[in-house]
Amino acid sequence: MIRFLARRLVALFAVLLAVTALAFGSLNVLGDPLFNVVGFIASVDCDAVLAGEIEDISGQTAGGRGDCEVIQAARKEHRLDRALPVRYVLWLGDIVRGDFGTSFKNEMPVRQVLADKLPKSILLMTVAEVIGIVIAVPWAIVAAYRANRRFDRASTVTSFGLLAVPNFAMGIILFYFFVVRWQIFPSRFEDTNLAARLKSMVLPGLTLGLPLAATYQRLLRTDLITTLQEDFIQMARAKGMTDRWVMFRHALRPSLFSLVTVFGISTAGLIGGALVVEQIFSIPGIGRAVVEAVIRDDFPIVLGSVVVIATGFVVINFFVDIIYSLIDPRVRRDD
Amino acid sequence: MTRTASDAVIDTTTRRRLGFGFWVSVGWLFLIIGVAVLAPWLPIADPNETGYGGRLDGPGWAAWFGTDTNGRDMFSRTIWGARVSLTVGFIAIVDGILIGGTLGLIAGYFRGAADRVISFVFFALLSFPGLVLALLIIASLGSSLMVVSMTLGILSIAPVGRLARAATLTFAEREFVQAARVLGSTHRRIMVRELLPNVMIPMSALALLGMAITIVAEGGLAFLGLSVSDGFSWGKMILLGSAPRTLRNGPWVAMMPIGAMFLTVLALNFAGDRLRQYLDVRELAF
Repeated sequence: MIRFLARRLVALFAVLLAVTALAFGSLNVLGDPLFNVVGFIASVDCDAVLAGEIEDISGQTAGGRGDCEVIQAARKEHRLDRALPVRYVLWLGDIVRGDFGTSFKNEMPVRQVLADKLPKSILLMTVAEVIGIVIAVPWAIVAAYRANRRFDRASTVTSFGLLAVPNFAMGIILFYFFVVRWQIFPSRFEDTNLAARLKSMVLPGLTLGLPLAATYQRLLRTDLITTLQEDFIQMARAKGMTDRWVMFRHALRPSLFSLVTVFGISTAGLIGGALVVEQIFSIPGIGRAVVEAVIRDDFPIVLGSVVVIATGFVVINFFVDIIYSLIDPRVRRDD
Repeated sequence: MTRTASDAVIDTTTRRRLGFGFWVSVGWLFLIIGVAVLAPWLPIADPNETGYGGRLDGPGWAAWFGTDTNGRDMFSRTIWGARVSLTVGFIAIVDGILIGGTLGLIAGYFRGAADRVISFVFFALLSFPGLVLALLIIASLGSSLMVVSMTLGILSIAPVGRLARAATLTFAEREFVQAARVLGSTHRRIMVRELLPNVMIPMSALALLGMAITIVAEGGLAFLGLSVSDGFSWGKMILLGSAPRTLRNGPWVAMMPIGAMFLTVLALNFAGDRLRQYLDVRELAF
């Protein structure tokens, strides 16, 4: 078990390294960080200006000594004078020490931005998962109890339908009925108190939760049907236990495995995966922050968010692996 | 999107039949692909002609799907939107299969170090928030049809590759592969002539499911302001129709492309799922 854990931990850190390197590299290669800090004067050839090869026209247009001082200060502050790998290692060191840097655009500490946005995204994730599970578990139990009967067939069709609705389409449909026509829910996020926050989360939560419910229902139903054909269920029935007792006491628990796995993956995905839904329902969460930061080329915010999202994803998957191996010891052996 | 394992009970009775629903789905797909390809020659309005009807006319005889805020015919626009959405979906999944499939085949065939490196790359790609990666690439390279398609293709490398690897693993030690090896076939020949045809079978089901996911992802990008810049896709049409005032006065502007996208995604999902059951693919990558 300890070897298994150690191996998983090493893999976890390796993946985090790879993801951060990918993010850091792609931002620096695809974009121009200097340009994003200082603006259009970034194209000034400072070496030439300082060497006196180009006339100093400071005070008039771009290209003077003043601009060069700005550029050099920015280079120094953001370590742009170092080589890319060196910058990556230094940046990683800062992150590990909890220093996420400051925004290029408004000088806000990235940590503060993340601390402000993350709770909203986590609330959305929680509401969505609660909706998904609360709908899926009873639904799957009823469907599996009478497998291939009318209710089960109808629910297969329903879940297929739900899975074919893109999340933005689901969002627009809910928005149309509940906000535009019936005006039951607010059109944007209200942050006054917990009740208002929760009320604002109902529609986005449903948007994300209904497809989740369909996914979970399909998984749990299949596993329940398989379990119900096992010998120990026959045994329990033969002993005269009621259907209800057999279902909840004997069949449900061993059928939860794939649900746990997928629950973990989808929860991890939702930490940062609600970009579109946050956009539609104007929730100032981390997804929106990323989108805005990418569009405004605010690298520190993008990087900070990617680190948080990817860490969440990897860590949750790590725990799912562990839970899975605790439930089913065979997982530990192969690998 | 996660799909269930093959349904134990249903499988035993219906696995070897594709069923009626499969052919209905395929029929819809052929219809939508047909009208998309033939759009320039069909007797429909010019999708960019403002004032074809009044502003926000409801669905009726003149304009079957109604008109948008500029009086453009929504029926014609839905068909033209299909061109962009389907093209993006198709190019992306072909990309994903070419790159991911090749990597997966190599990983599954050679095992060892190659497998470890490639599997690690797949896992790292999966851990990276996909839409963020797409945002980064498209925001800096522009949102031409090719860039958007290629970016979504990159996102499908890991799931496609994992399936290809898993499928290769199940065939790599089979007798026909060993026979080829004993006969002195080169690695390349074994991979291309012996393994590829077998791996392509489960991949065909995945291609349908993957195309559905890509079409939806392109729509999601539209909502983040990064839709395909040349022409308009269903996602962009839905975005245009989702402005609160348009939604209140003319819900059909958003709902018609939503309906078209829903039916297409449903058909792709259903056909892919039936095909997967029919071919008995157990490994799940999505």
